[in-house]
Amino acid sequence: MKVELYNTLSRRSVLKGAVAASALGAAGSVGLPVRIASAAEDVRAQILAIPGVGKGQPTDADWQKVGALCLEPTKANVKEGEFKGVELSFMGLNNQNVHNVLFRGLSKAWADYTGATINWIDLAQADYNARLQQAIATGTVDFDVIEMGAPFEGDVCGKGLASEMPDWVKTQIDMDDYVGYLKAPVGTWEGKTYRISCDGDCHNFNYRSDVFADAGLAEEWKKAGGEGDWGVPKTWQQVNAYTKFLKGKQLNGQDLYGYLDPCKGWGGFAFYFLGSRATAYAKHPDDKAWLFDADTMKPRVNNPAWVRAIQDVLDSLPFEPADQLNADPGTTGFQQFLAGTGTMLSWWGDIGSNVKTNDSSVIGDVTAFDILPGSDDVYNAGTGAWDKLASGPNYAPNMAYIGWGIYVMARVDSDPVKQKAAWSLAAHLGGKDISLWMAAYPSGFQPYRNSHFNVAEWTAAGYDEAFIKSYLDSEANSYNHPNAAIEPRIPGIFQYYSVAEDELAKIYAGQMSAQDGANAIAAAWEKITDQIGRDNQIKLYKASLGM
Amino acid sequence: MSTKASGMTTGVTASGRDPVTGYVSDERRRMGAWLIRLSTLALAALILMQSLHAAGMISFGFTNWQPVLIAYTLWGAALCAGNVMRDGEAGWRALFVLPAILFTIALVIFPTIFGFVIAFSDWNLQSVTGRRFNGLDNLRQLWADPYFWNALGNMVFYVLSVLVQYVIAFGLALLLNQDIRARKFFRVAFLLPFMLSPVAVGWMIGKSMLEYRFGPVTRLLRTLGWDEPTLLTTPWLAKTTIAAMDAWVWIPFMMILILAGLQALPKEVQEAAKVDGATGWQGFWQVTFPLMLPVSITTIVLRIIFQLKLADIVITTTSGGPGGATDTVSSFIFREYKDRSNVGYGTMIAEVYLILIIVFVALLLWGTNRFMQRHRY
Repeated sequence: MKVELYNTLSRRSVLKGAVAASALGAAGSVGLPVRIASAAEDVRAQILAIPGVGKGQPTDADWQKVGALCLEPTKANVKEGEFKGVELSFMGLNNQNVHNVLFRGLSKAWADYTGATINWIDLAQADYNARLQQAIATGTVDFDVIEMGAPFEGDVCGKGLASEMPDWVKTQIDMDDYVGYLKAPVGTWEGKTYRISCDGDCHNFNYRSDVFADAGLAEEWKKAGGEGDWGVPKTWQQVNAYTKFLKGKQLNGQDLYGYLDPCKGWGGFAFYFLGSRATAYAKHPDDKAWLFDADTMKPRVNNPAWVRAIQDVLDSLPFEPADQLNADPGTTGFQQFLAGTGTMLSWWGDIGSNVKTNDSSVIGDVTAFDILPGSDDVYNAGTGAWDKLASGPNYAPNMAYIGWGIYVMARVDSDPVKQKAAWSLAAHLGGKDISLWMAAYPSGFQPYRNSHFNVAEWTAAGYDEAFIKSYLDSEANSYNHPNAAIEPRIPGIFQYYSVAEDELAKIYAGQMSAQDGANAIAAAWEKITDQIGRDNQIKLYKASLGM
Repeated sequence: MSTKASGMTTGVTASGRDPVTGYVSDERRRMGAWLIRLSTLALAALILMQSLHAAGMISFGFTNWQPVLIAYTLWGAALCAGNVMRDGEAGWRALFVLPAILFTIALVIFPTIFGFVIAFSDWNLQSVTGRRFNGLDNLRQLWADPYFWNALGNMVFYVLSVLVQYVIAFGLALLLNQDIRARKFFRVAFLLPFMLSPVAVGWMIGKSMLEYRFGPVTRLLRTLGWDEPTLLTTPWLAKTTIAAMDAWVWIPFMMILILAGLQALPKEVQEAAKVDGATGWQGFWQVTFPLMLPVSITTIVLRIIFQLKLADIVITTTSGGPGGATDTVSSFIFREYKDRSNVGYGTMIAEVYLILIIVFVALLLWGTNRFMQRHRY
């Protein structure tokens, strides 16, 4: 379909909606708000129908349509052609053909309207940290706008490299709509706001509903003497037991596997997946810290909780697919789970937004979601004992990465037109309506606004209600969990993760025990803390935990 | 140009004065000398000022070192011009090498020396204190670093695999040296892997064809009865697979060098061997192979130098895993720099590895040279 034709149609339908609303408004004094609300809802409904759930993966033409339909907030603040001659550089990712690839299409209408041109700097996930750190350290920041995660705020905002968000942007993007955990201090540094959130990260639990609903497997589980009834696991103890049980079983002629652990490094990002196994053991409800001791930055990665999580991986690996040692998170999520291998997986919300819309997914109708499993007991770092909580298993969703955001660099501040252009672009890509579409389709981003959790909007787009409710609940219940494990926003966090990945690879390959490997990680982390500056790290770690 | 034809003479006169410079007036010579002195002084002053500024000892200076680089270029031009003014014909002759020397200093010698300065520093890009001199700490850390020694051990395996590559390359070169049908086509076809980027090979073969679930190679292996073709997850197998992929890329390079050598061999010698009743094997082993030894050794030495830098295929396919089984020194350095921003330690590994390579290659060349002399090749 031609975009121009689509635009004509869209404008017509928007106008029709506006005329109808005006007629309603004429009958009462609340006419204008009614008209605006109607048009906004119309836009949200329209964009969610592009291309429509179950109608194939969105293409560049779809992205352009969505971008054009979401341009009204920009028009309210920027005149047509106001940024003519302005050139902006935008640095971001190109993972799974989304992120920057998607942004190109979504921002085309914005560029056409404002007259600005955008140069794109695309990076693979594993290259992102290095590219950013080198630019910072060598004083060669060559981008005006950046897609960046909150863990890097210490590196960028802490060094005065980011531009402070103007108030008109806060209004345009409706910041109050963010879920609680993404509000300040996330996105702020020393009281100033720098970030437009476009994502809200946490790891949730993705599982195959058909496997856990299968009567044959339930019977086999019973015969095998499995503990409790066959069903969706609620604790890691159950996940591990099911993983061992499922090896060698089949469903509909296909080999079954249980949980999928990524064992290969991913530029530091693979460490999050061990974190998701560890939080239920390591994040005690009475203690905000779980990765380091907050007062000393002494690593906790070699305490009994983390070692137990590592040992769980070691115990599970013989029952997972034979190539798991060479599987990074991209493999477990997109080449294994979406393609039908494996029954349980911790991942970011991308799995949920891809499972019904990604062309390579074969499990769209048999996937459900939950918050990460809990643990029957939790390690108390203060007493050194394992506690059993009166409330039952300990749950601690892993707020891994705290979501992508869009930041404008301070280098544009000297040019008011360029500064406004950069913030306008960022506000367009982080806008309220466009974010709904990104949450619903493959984009690399997951729901992060209160307005994203309106099930009716998703079902109108073609999602099955039970499916989408399961997905949205897993996200919302993770974000709002009182014992959520929050990632530290400290400089060099990916150095810690990267060195851990190297040691974990040795542990998983059987070259050292879980405890010895964890001790090696802890020693390497101590060295990094000393190298970067312990006092400063302690200060920032405490601040990021809200202590 | 003939000196006679130009009417000039060469050689030093009894007074010790080169007659070539005799054509330059004293004033011109003085001007040349002053140009060199002043430009050198200006460059030195600029470097001193910027150094003091960078050290925080003075407030004025440039925001970066780019102006010093421009000044170095201008100084180079002034040096060349001053030499011509001062030394006449000899100065012109110097112009043939002086720019190349200045270029080498700027792009090879200075970075190497500066690299050593960094190598003896504690420099983490995210450190609040920036770069700090830390003496021999990085060297001590390297000595006790199991990742470095593991990678170095793997390099021994990868270097030894060059011998296997050599045997295959020799066989292919012999084949392509025969009068076979479509010889030209095969020569180009065999060269194709060498034209591919190793990164592309890592993705196309390592990540796609060898992919455990849907890769055509692994599916074929399953069809042949191997249920779990863990080509990249069993340590020794992963190392062998990486070596095989690397061989696929580089064998054409060795083959083409050997083929060139084979084509340069005098045919008479082989024909004489045949007349003397030598069998095919005897002709190869006692005539062709010894005659090809100089080419073979050059090929192997060149290939080993390339092999010591192996990283791209490893990084794209296994990231050094499983458990460091396929790691190379270069891919380890890559991780230290890229993922950990550990510039000081990463540079120390790179410098030590450079020295190891220089020593190894020097010994290799010395050994092969002695071998060749002893056997009069």
